[in-house]
Amino acid sequence: MDSSPSTSILILLTEDLLLKIFSLLPDDSDRKSFRSTCKTFYRVDAIRRTHIRVLRPEFLPSLLHKLPRVDSLDLSVCPRIDDSAVSFLLSAAAPIWVRRIKRLNLSRCSGLRFRGLEALAVNCKNLESVDISYCSGFVDLEAAALSRSAELKELNLNKCLNISDVGLAKIAVGCPKLEKLSLKWCFDITDIGVELLSKKCARLKHLDISYLKVTSESLRWISGMDRLEILEMVGCGLVDDMGLHYIGEGCPSLKVLDISRCDKLSSSALSSVIRGHNSLLQLHASHCFPELPMTVVHQLKDLAKLKVLTIDGSRVSDAALKIISENCRCLAEIRLGKSKVRDEGIMQLVSGCVNLKALNLTCCSDLTDQAILTIADSCRDLISLKLECCNLLSERSLNFLGSLCVLLQEIDLTDCSGVNDIGLKYLSKCSELASLKLGLCTNISDNGLYYVASNCLKIRDLDLYRCSEIGDDGLAALSHGCKKLQKLIFSYCGLVTDIGMEYLSSLEELSDLEMRCLPNITGSGLRNLATGCRKLSQLDVKNCKNIDDSGFWALAYYSRNLQQINFSGCAISDVGLCMVMGNLTRLQDAKLVDLTNVSVNGLELALRASCARLKKVKLLASLRRLLSTEIIVTLETRGCKIRWD
Amino acid sequence: MDPEERPCADSWTKSSNNRSFASIDSQQQKWEASSFHDYGLRIEQQISAFNQAFGAQNSVSCNMNSQNDPQDKQMSEARKPNEPQDWDPRAMLNNLSFLEKKIHQLQDLVHLIVGRRCQVTGRTDEILVQQQQLITADLTSIIVQLISTAGSLLPSVKHTLCSESPISQLGQFGGMSNQSTGVSDGMVVPNNNSMNKVENQSNAMGFLGSEQNCPIEDHEMKSDDDADEGENLPPGSYEILQLEKEEILAPHTHFCTICGKGFKRDANLRMHMRGHGDEYKTPAALAKPNKEPSSEPVLIKRYSCPFVGCKRNKDHKKFQPLKTILCVKNHYKRTHCDKTYTCSRCNTKKFSVIADLKTHEKHCGRDKWLCSCGTTFSRKDKLFGHIALFQGHTPAIPVEEPKGSVGPSDRGQCGEASKIEQLEFNYKSGQNIMDVEGSSADNPTNYFLPMGFDTGSISGFSEFPRPSFEDSESSFSFLLSGSGNYPPKDGRYAGSNNLE
Repeated sequence: MDSSPSTSILILLTEDLLLKIFSLLPDDSDRKSFRSTCKTFYRVDAIRRTHIRVLRPEFLPSLLHKLPRVDSLDLSVCPRIDDSAVSFLLSAAAPIWVRRIKRLNLSRCSGLRFRGLEALAVNCKNLESVDISYCSGFVDLEAAALSRSAELKELNLNKCLNISDVGLAKIAVGCPKLEKLSLKWCFDITDIGVELLSKKCARLKHLDISYLKVTSESLRWISGMDRLEILEMVGCGLVDDMGLHYIGEGCPSLKVLDISRCDKLSSSALSSVIRGHNSLLQLHASHCFPELPMTVVHQLKDLAKLKVLTIDGSRVSDAALKIISENCRCLAEIRLGKSKVRDEGIMQLVSGCVNLKALNLTCCSDLTDQAILTIADSCRDLISLKLECCNLLSERSLNFLGSLCVLLQEIDLTDCSGVNDIGLKYLSKCSELASLKLGLCTNISDNGLYYVASNCLKIRDLDLYRCSEIGDDGLAALSHGCKKLQKLIFSYCGLVTDIGMEYLSSLEELSDLEMRCLPNITGSGLRNLATGCRKLSQLDVKNCKNIDDSGFWALAYYSRNLQQINFSGCAISDVGLCMVMGNLTRLQDAKLVDLTNVSVNGLELALRASCARLKKVKLLASLRRLLSTEIIVTLETRGCKIRWD
Repeated sequence: MDPEERPCADSWTKSSNNRSFASIDSQQQKWEASSFHDYGLRIEQQISAFNQAFGAQNSVSCNMNSQNDPQDKQMSEARKPNEPQDWDPRAMLNNLSFLEKKIHQLQDLVHLIVGRRCQVTGRTDEILVQQQQLITADLTSIIVQLISTAGSLLPSVKHTLCSESPISQLGQFGGMSNQSTGVSDGMVVPNNNSMNKVENQSNAMGFLGSEQNCPIEDHEMKSDDDADEGENLPPGSYEILQLEKEEILAPHTHFCTICGKGFKRDANLRMHMRGHGDEYKTPAALAKPNKEPSSEPVLIKRYSCPFVGCKRNKDHKKFQPLKTILCVKNHYKRTHCDKTYTCSRCNTKKFSVIADLKTHEKHCGRDKWLCSCGTTFSRKDKLFGHIALFQGHTPAIPVEEPKGSVGPSDRGQCGEASKIEQLEFNYKSGQNIMDVEGSSADNPTNYFLPMGFDTGSISGFSEFPRPSFEDSESSFSFLLSGSGNYPPKDGRYAGSNNLE
């Protein structure tokens, strides 16, 4: 920075140009490197930045002050958001940034109560989107607090188990501008609430009523919503054909419909919907029918614009696939999991639908290499392919894919016993690959992984579950090649030792690691990992019996970003547990089962040290009586969910 | 009770004034000055006087009255000690023995009838009819007295019956004397022939009675149970019957002529009668009495409320008749009587019909659906319908918040604030407790012991302070893209590493 040449470069690079450059960096990690370069770059980043997701709310006011364009705030990973934190935030810098905030993510902020929510809703006057999903402790009072923000357009209430019709009514009356509302798993909401919603929120475009105990009566009211485009109603087991007849006759703007797992429906229900909505873009009807009825198939002809079709779990005949391929030319994604399709069917399908980008053939175990050949040959734009449990496939399939589908980004080969090192070598030609699942592929070894690691440099997600031949060399290859790796699973790869862990420590992006049951890993292995992978946020070391306290101390000291941890069956002692639980201030989810070296007192201390921020904890059921009621009550009042195992 | 009787007597004198009965007029002064104790007696005397004056032409009525007089007196005397306090066992005993006597009389009478019926087979019809009339009249008088006495035995209805039985008796007899068929109807005053006087009297009585019982503003308070509002029977197309207050309020309406037992339903009475002899077991005796072979079209019966001024009273301008006796009973109790049944749950709602209380108790306390406008609803869908209808109304949520979250969150509030302040202080001053810890870490337990695990100092432990952040970049982290770029502390770490 202080050298003159670099200064001159900065003179040449005007702010416009810098902004242009910045806009070409889509990846968060790249942007981070960019802003870390110098103050000028940091400033460019700061004026472009609109969204932040913070782990530590205490710095939020100064941060929002520095980033003038931030209007979207994600507090979902903050371990300690409660009413007092909110009042602190609002008191510190209320007038400056509060009005700017338009989007607020409070998912899993179970420590928050209606006072804090109300303060947020009242102060953030321009709030347009709020997410309070998974706040299962929220009751109607919290919903009422939220209804104070009248400008609200989007609201996510997923799994707010205790919000009832009354809370929904509050929101429906208080937020008439709602356009998107998700009520998934809000089991207390009934027809009465949905009826009122349909009367009060006429602007709704997207409604999710999945898993609610609503009947066709609700759909009768929903069918009157003129602007509704997306209706998701997965698992509405009480809805019968009558409900879908209403939808078929109403909802003039409907574009997306998801009726998966609605058990009571017959083919006539789907027919009437298709008859009423020819311009449907997405239709999801998985696990509705044991076999896709031909009457429905014939009607699919009318859906010329259909882009996504989901019929998982229904047997589909070759003739049906032929009709689909001949008529639904725009189809970009089709999910046929467990549909028992055979090669002929797939050939029929891909002959017409050449634009397919995503194909899910999970558990279609009759498929052979021939089917994959036709897919690879016809659908050159394929991005996602799921072939879990297709046992007849051999390395030839991977050869076709590697040579023809070069855009492939995601492939699931879990439990495909035909996948071997040669196959991986072929597949590694798909250089765009970001997600690769090879769980239970017992025939692959370090060599195969080497091909992948040296060619697929963009891999972010790799699953090597029970690939028992994989050892330290494979991990070495990965750590050299796949620098972008974020999520890695190598549970039950018993050959991996501390050396492999040392290799892994060079993966700076690694945030999610599952490594269960690795007997050769000791404390020093974990220590190496902790010192290197600073972004680690989820760690599962269940049943790694040989990791001792030295490893956990390192974890406690370095892995400040750790949010979820599974220690079950580890040799951690009282001291180590207290260190980890007390020192890792971002920890929110801990599974603490079968800790043989931990005394009840130690566990109690550890829980006391972390009770303020834990959101979820799994404990042995027998401890329920041994732990003090005080700590249990404290945990529960702070919104922590205790799972007694 | 006594003070309330006053207007009764007053209006009574007025009504008799209207008809200018000299005998009563002459008594009036004395009458008014008389003490309350012999009140009932006085009234009775008046009535008997009146009765004599009024029904002079009717031998049956006179005869009967004179026969009953001593008993009436006896009855009112028996009642006297009962008046000051609510319940007197002695009075009760008196009443009971009186009833017993009456029942015996009745029994004798019926025996007589039975005996006569056997004898009179050969006699002429004329004598037969005459005898029948006589006996039925006697019977009726006794039954009426039975009713009144029986009523006085029951605390709930005693005040309605005590001193007015003679009056009602008067009305009854008046009706009966002119219409022998009226006996079968028993309690009903037919409104068809030239019974103007009786009618007027009964009106006056009804009015008085109601004045005693309930305030006038209750009048139109509740619409009646039956939906005969829309019924447009042309006046005159139906027969108007008016029950008397006592009959309305009597717990039983059908009484056994032999043993005096009361029944709510005539059918039950008929079933009961079987036990009194084989003659009651014949199909004819067991058949419904109104199913007489008479083929002439039965005139529709409608009922009038005895309360003068009530819309249901036949003298009201917009008279709307009541359909059934049950309607009359419910209407009268609801509209013109005290609400004696109080809901045991809310202790506020009162009812005069016990069925209403039971209906209310089913729902009492469930009025939990409250709108922001203050309206309450017993059902959620009703509330939601209301909310859908009115702009800006929302369901109100009870203010009391769930227990448990109050205390801790409040406690947390002050604790948390100070904690954050403390935290900031730590960062600013660059205090590095970790260092200190590291140096004292030769014993692993020492490592965290200084922080203590008392509830009070949890905050110190949970917000484990770490080196100050000069660079704001590292003061937060972005998940996945986040930094976590802590300055390498390998040296310090090695320090604790030495333990191994």
